[in-house]
Amino acid sequence: MPARPILSLTVILAIVAFAAETRLTGVDEVSFPKLIAAQRGKIVLVDFWATWCEPCREELPKLAAYEAKMRARGFVLITVSADEPEQDAAAYAFLLRTGVRLPGYRKQARNDGDFIDFIDPKWSGALPALFLYGRDGAKVKSFFGETDMQDIEQAVSKLL
Amino acid sequence: MKKLLLCVLAGAALAGAQEFKLGSPVSDFEVTSLKGEPVKYSALKGDTTVVIFVSTVCPISNGYNDRMKAVYNDYRVKGVHFIFINANATESAADVEAHAKAHGFPFALYKDAAGAAADLFGAQVTPETFVIDRNGVLRYHGYVDDSVQEARVHNQGLRQALDAVLAGKDVPMAHTKAFGCTIKRRRRAS
Repeated sequence: MPARPILSLTVILAIVAFAAETRLTGVDEVSFPKLIAAQRGKIVLVDFWATWCEPCREELPKLAAYEAKMRARGFVLITVSADEPEQDAAAYAFLLRTGVRLPGYRKQARNDGDFIDFIDPKWSGALPALFLYGRDGAKVKSFFGETDMQDIEQAVSKLL
Repeated sequence: MKKLLLCVLAGAALAGAQEFKLGSPVSDFEVTSLKGEPVKYSALKGDTTVVIFVSTVCPISNGYNDRMKAVYNDYRVKGVHFIFINANATESAADVEAHAKAHGFPFALYKDAAGAAADLFGAQVTPETFVIDRNGVLRYHGYVDDSVQEARVHNQGLRQALDAVLAGKDVPMAHTKAFGCTIKRRRRAS
């Protein structure tokens, strides 16, 4: 077989693999509870963020560092981006840079308003927003807007 | 980003109580022209009024610049009055004026530096829109439409609300979840 088609095929496969690698996984009202249930036994903090949200971008590295510190005690950070699918690669790259554990997720509900209400009826949808779940999978606390790490750490410490 | 002498904090935690609720009257409030003059809502409103909170720097608010211009152009000829308000403590009147010129906005913008108007409406993000009818009642609160990507828009929240109000009908979806960057409010002294 000639070398050029093999090279082209290799390049194409590499591009496809890279594209798949940088995609975030869509999440909605059906898959979100399964995501939380899969972490039963752990303390889960879900961070809704977006690449266009400056306070979110400032907060994520702090959350990533906290997770690294608390991982051994059963703490998990799950990130859910509110970006459009076209921004997946940019969002993925940002998660990589901040040291956030992957996979990352992206809101992909039929109706955004219904999904926001499903997560927390008191949530306006404004970002950033954090939702803390106990080891039994029940939501314990919601944090709307920029949150001091101290408040997060205090809430998590009650669940350890 | 400019450094400020004031400490600013986004989010609802330090906002004042929301006064204007759907189905209830909107009372008079004040904003500031870009020249620094106080302007009352009563001087700006029309039979049908749209209040939109916007930002110069928010990528989502900017993603709606063309659509906001289009809504303005399409509905002002039907007698709708528009009040575009920048309530971000981090954005000066000069910033707003420069941004408006750069983007060719055909409408006036106002500042709400203390966030008082934003608090009255319960506005959290930019862009966030409100429609008030001829009786002064708040009839719609929410997004311009449901996706910053035009190809993905399913619901034209603001346009649908305006069409319903102008036709004297109920607004089918009176409340939608506005999305965008949080309004950067000034920290209030406790």
